[in-house]
Amino acid sequence: MKKYITLLALCCSAIPVWAVEAPLENIRVDTGTAAVKRGADTLMDVCHGCHTLKYIRYSDLASLGIDKKKIDDWRGVQSLDAPLTGQMSDDAAMQTFGKLPPDLSLMAKAREGGANYVYSYLIGYYNAAEGMTGNHIFPETKMPDVLGISGAADEAQRTEIQGKAREVVSFLYWAADPHEEERHRLGYCVIAYLFVLTTLLYFVKARIWSRLK
Amino acid sequence: MKNKIVKWIDHRFPLTSFVKHELTGYPTPRNLSYWWNFGFLAGFVLVLQVATGIFLAMHYKADIALSFDSIQHIMRDVNYGWLLRFMHSTGASAFFLVIYIHMARTLYYGSYRAPRELMWWTGQGLLLMLMATAFMGYLLPWGQMSFWGATVITNLFRATPYFGDQIVVWLRGDYTVGDATLTRFFALHYLFPFLIIGGVVVHLVALHTVRSSNPSGIDLADKDNIPFHPYFTSKDFYGLGIFLIVYCIFVFFFPNLLIEPANNIPANPMQTPTHIVPEWYFLPFYAVLRAVPNLVGGVVAMGLSVMVFAFMPYLDRSRIPGGARYRPWYRAMFFLFAVDMLVLGYVGYVPPSNQTIVVGQAATFLYFALFALLPFASKKEEQWLIKRGLPPEVKALMAGEAREISKFPHRRRSGDKP
Repeated sequence: MKKYITLLALCCSAIPVWAVEAPLENIRVDTGTAAVKRGADTLMDVCHGCHTLKYIRYSDLASLGIDKKKIDDWRGVQSLDAPLTGQMSDDAAMQTFGKLPPDLSLMAKAREGGANYVYSYLIGYYNAAEGMTGNHIFPETKMPDVLGISGAADEAQRTEIQGKAREVVSFLYWAADPHEEERHRLGYCVIAYLFVLTTLLYFVKARIWSRLK
Repeated sequence: MKNKIVKWIDHRFPLTSFVKHELTGYPTPRNLSYWWNFGFLAGFVLVLQVATGIFLAMHYKADIALSFDSIQHIMRDVNYGWLLRFMHSTGASAFFLVIYIHMARTLYYGSYRAPRELMWWTGQGLLLMLMATAFMGYLLPWGQMSFWGATVITNLFRATPYFGDQIVVWLRGDYTVGDATLTRFFALHYLFPFLIIGGVVVHLVALHTVRSSNPSGIDLADKDNIPFHPYFTSKDFYGLGIFLIVYCIFVFFFPNLLIEPANNIPANPMQTPTHIVPEWYFLPFYAVLRAVPNLVGGVVAMGLSVMVFAFMPYLDRSRIPGGARYRPWYRAMFFLFAVDMLVLGYVGYVPPSNQTIVVGQAATFLYFALFALLPFASKKEEQWLIKRGLPPEVKALMAGEAREISKFPHRRRSGDKP
């Protein structure tokens, strides 16, 4: 069975080879609040025009520690408990793109490769023929190169855009699983407790079994 | 020192004698290894799944317009809802892992042999119910893989002669997997665990009739049995601690490893995912299904690959005790089978290509060939072992077993003439 788990782990790591067109960039997601907040800025600026985040409310952004005034600007007349619905109507989206832009709440978990996929996709744009852009990771995409990586003039600008993409990914990573940090914190306590308990149970067992013979 | 309440109950219900007979004084072979912990662990996971499942059901909505959202509601808004949900989703995998180890132990040590056939068969029934429960539960989040998995598997019933199409509609409650399917799967997913609990009671009653098997493969003399409590309660709880550490590492740190990314996309009947895969615990059987090019043949082969275990008490004709321990051929076959399962699991996971189809067919052939060869191999092996001269410990075991059989004629060994 141990072998089975190892094999399964190997299978999981082998997915990107066949699931996507080009190899994914591997990034370490910065889960710090600062990066998540900066990602929220970029996302509200660049992505939220077309994409919804229906499982995230403005109040969730407030509990992240984002400036109250900024949130008021974003939500306009909507209540603080309203979800981040898109600013584009479905009809308009269908007319512009021919399909609805997907909801982003779970995007960091909804693709093979997770956060690596989203990052690689965002920076995967290149200049194709006739002034069009293409994408290495998702060639059929209807989304324009919103971060402008294909038009980057030099390496410095490229690095800056990559930084922005990383922050957007940080935000989406948080949005997909807002309780992750809490889960890890609780996990350390639970497992530490179980280690102590199991050690004690071992000694109980050894003591009881020593009566035999 | 019995208190008044216990006395009052004992006049009306055999509480003390039941506890004494079935728990505190229940004689258990002292030589059980840690491989014998997994039955208790399976019972524990069952309770864990029922407990977390009931609380999840309080917040879940079985409606195709609401179910995906209700899972996100549980994950984000319900107090510790994420913990309940991850315990339940990880618990499903833990259940199968524990059950597969439990079955592997039975196969390795030959615990299915007489007089424990009924234990093995009730266990087989429990495995089928567990598979059905897991399959139906997987539809409930109403993600892409939920929907398409249920579509592919219910579609297999098309292979039924004459009534195939009607049975598929009857199972789904509709022409496609839809709201009617979701509500009935939810109802049955809630019902089946209680049927499983009933099955476990039968399994345990059978166990307490024939008693635990043990690594020696024979029924031990009374002096080699020790009371279940405190010896095996303490041993089981220590094993439980180890299990919980592994389980919690997955629940708290890698809960998404066992959830397909595509299941984080709401079900969309208009868009088939590029690659539909079942959960890891179904992969070997799924590979058998795909290895046969014909639908009916594939379904029959898959059904047989799950049910073939039930024939083990008849397929294994050797009288050498101790299962694979004292039987080199059988041991080789056991490990070959284990590796074959891994290969099938891998083939079931990857998208079919020319090479994997051939590998899958070869592995499927080997899977059934091992079972088909067993009656001959086990008999030949027995003759060869006896001719070569058994080690004195095995001879002693067999002599002890023969003495027991003369005392209790119903304790027939597999391979004995009735």
